[in-house]
Amino acid sequence: MKRTLFTILTLLLAASFLLGACQTGTEPEVAEEAKPDEVTLVIGFTSSITGKYETSSGRQVRGFNLWMDQVNDAGGITLSDGTVVKLEVATYDDESNTDRIQELYTRLATEDNADLLISPYSSGLTAAASIIAEQNGKVMITTGAAADSNYQQGYTLVFQIYTPASRYLTGAVDLLASVGPEVTKVAFVYEDTKFSTGVVEAAKAYAEGMGYEVVLYEGYAADTSDFGPFINKIVDSGAEAILGGGHFQDGSTFARQLHEKGVDTNLFALLVAPPEPDFADLGEAALGVIGPSQWEPLAAYTPESAEVAGVEWFGPSSDDFVTAYTGAYDGEEPSYHSAGGYAAGVVLQNAVLTADSTDPVAIKAALDAMDLMIFFGNIKFDTSEENHGLQIGHSMIYIQWQEGEDGLSKQVVWPKAGATSDAIYPIP
Amino acid sequence: MKNWQKYLGLIISLLAVTLLAVWPLITSKPVDREVAFTILKGIALASSLNIILGYTGYVSFGHIVYFGLGGYIGFYLISQQGWSIYPSMLAGGLIAGLFAFLLGKAILRLRGAYFALATIGVNMAVLSFISNFDLLGGPIGMTLNFNIYKEYGGAAQALQLIFYLMVAITLITIIVSYLVRTSKFGLGLLAIREDEDAAEVMGVVAPNLKTWAYVLSAIFPGVIGVLFFFKNGSIEPHPAFPLHTSIELIVMVMLGGQGTVFGPILGAAAYQRMRGLLLTTPIFKNIQLSVAGVLLLIIVLFIPAGVVGWIRNRFPITRRVLQ
Repeated sequence: MKRTLFTILTLLLAASFLLGACQTGTEPEVAEEAKPDEVTLVIGFTSSITGKYETSSGRQVRGFNLWMDQVNDAGGITLSDGTVVKLEVATYDDESNTDRIQELYTRLATEDNADLLISPYSSGLTAAASIIAEQNGKVMITTGAAADSNYQQGYTLVFQIYTPASRYLTGAVDLLASVGPEVTKVAFVYEDTKFSTGVVEAAKAYAEGMGYEVVLYEGYAADTSDFGPFINKIVDSGAEAILGGGHFQDGSTFARQLHEKGVDTNLFALLVAPPEPDFADLGEAALGVIGPSQWEPLAAYTPESAEVAGVEWFGPSSDDFVTAYTGAYDGEEPSYHSAGGYAAGVVLQNAVLTADSTDPVAIKAALDAMDLMIFFGNIKFDTSEENHGLQIGHSMIYIQWQEGEDGLSKQVVWPKAGATSDAIYPIP
Repeated sequence: MKNWQKYLGLIISLLAVTLLAVWPLITSKPVDREVAFTILKGIALASSLNIILGYTGYVSFGHIVYFGLGGYIGFYLISQQGWSIYPSMLAGGLIAGLFAFLLGKAILRLRGAYFALATIGVNMAVLSFISNFDLLGGPIGMTLNFNIYKEYGGAAQALQLIFYLMVAITLITIIVSYLVRTSKFGLGLLAIREDEDAAEVMGVVAPNLKTWAYVLSAIFPGVIGVLFFFKNGSIEPHPAFPLHTSIELIVMVMLGGQGTVFGPILGAAAYQRMRGLLLTTPIFKNIQLSVAGVLLLIIVLFIPAGVVGWIRNRFPITRRVLQ
């Protein structure tokens, strides 16, 4: 018995090595031979099919795939000389960890011959992938990678779609200054991870610059489930507004426990969790909670607002995107991660059209010169040597959970120009 | 026996690694170099772990702590102090070894499951410390400016250099592993593995031997950590101390055959190659973790001595060549 099993096992291992030997030619097959006036643009990326980023990365990829399917179904991207650019994707699972990210991106760039790259989800994975993109001369659009530091490392081919982490919560401070000028003491309680700490450090400096006294500045571990000690500290500090959070799980637990303890605060803003539709499950605890979002279906980015801002409008409207997304994915409501994936595609499409070519140098030049408004918001990249590729056009919007006729609903409360409702202040 | 035949076990092991190192040079494909790098990293880490796990019989569940710690020290020296990669590698390895020495004095008094649990605790403690230590970037970690690779002739040259350094480290790890296995020191470790109390009665100074075995098994992960994160361009607390990688290393050692020199090489190469293939093969890439899990279950259930251990038991003649 053991011998048979061992033989099977040995055969399996041998087969895996043989497969490897034969596998060198397994780059994505082009469905049919390209016609003379048709070129195929291969877009490569890894996604987190498994691991901790599975949900967010999955939504990002669904957004991107929707864009690609729409473009291909519409006949591709047509250049001025009549050349039709069809899109094809090459993708692997990065397992949400950095172990193989460079190996996979090298495979995408050199074996699968990807013409353009999209980043993995998260700043950490993107940092490792950026080196490979730059080294192989491939333009990479990053989405789901907000950390500023990645765009301050001397890269010239990496372009960020998201508003950088340093501007995630600064708008909430502006909102506080607008609705509660009497407030002087604020508390920052945040998850001690790269992303959240980066966000909060910038927001703290911004708040102090505006004259606020930061009475509490405390990080918590990512798996914290008891916020009692932190809430007690908040109460003791006399903070009038609370900012911080991290991701969905900890953020929603924090909000629930703060509500259960009946803490009296004027403004409560958390990262990531509030914009998620599931946050409404908290019921009363969600009421009044504010959250920064890269995009919301309510966001008022339209051809008209582009005209007012004096920039070019490109691509579908928010409504068109939401309708197409919910239709394509069994009624799933798109989150800002989904919109980010779709927006990466729209930006690439515009760059190819502007460059009127699939040449990476021309596409890079088009991205450098881009000043655009799409359904996701303004898109403009820093072209300075120090911050090349950093997003400087796009701004966060801030939502607040408010009581409506049909129960709790999200309303955009900041910036004022795009607001759908006045902020509830102080929190009831 | 002819003189060279005595070293057949070492020759075969070194030859296997050399073949793996030469493969990307023949194909001249960057992706083959990346695949070989991942496999070599697995071989070197598994061979290091084998010194404490396979020879001494102490299951270090949190062994990846030395990879992260060395990586952090080296990364700090390169990115913040402007050191070159070479002294940084040395510093990463030495600090990891020093830490293992101090720690080993305390936790190697524990045996069996208690030691395994203590090593997990150490990994968590170091992770928490680094997350709160601003000098090493705290929770944000540190990043490397792309221009730093220019000192090594550009990113492409730097990646090639890192690969050669990884080959060298892997070869050194295997030579050290072989020397330990065939020395009086190694014999003492094997005696401890079989019965620590009996070994002490026979004159083996168990605390000293265990500590030095632990130090040796920590130095190489420290050096490899510096290489990996230098190549990666950034370091953060959680990816630097991944507990799951510790478990994967144990699987590699068990799969190949613990307590042998060639076992961890075979185990790491097979495991890393299998995972890499499952990830990139169209029919498996969406279920790669399930397939890998089933394969590992079969291995652990039916050949607990590992492939090399099984072959050595089944064909005694191979004991001369498979060490």
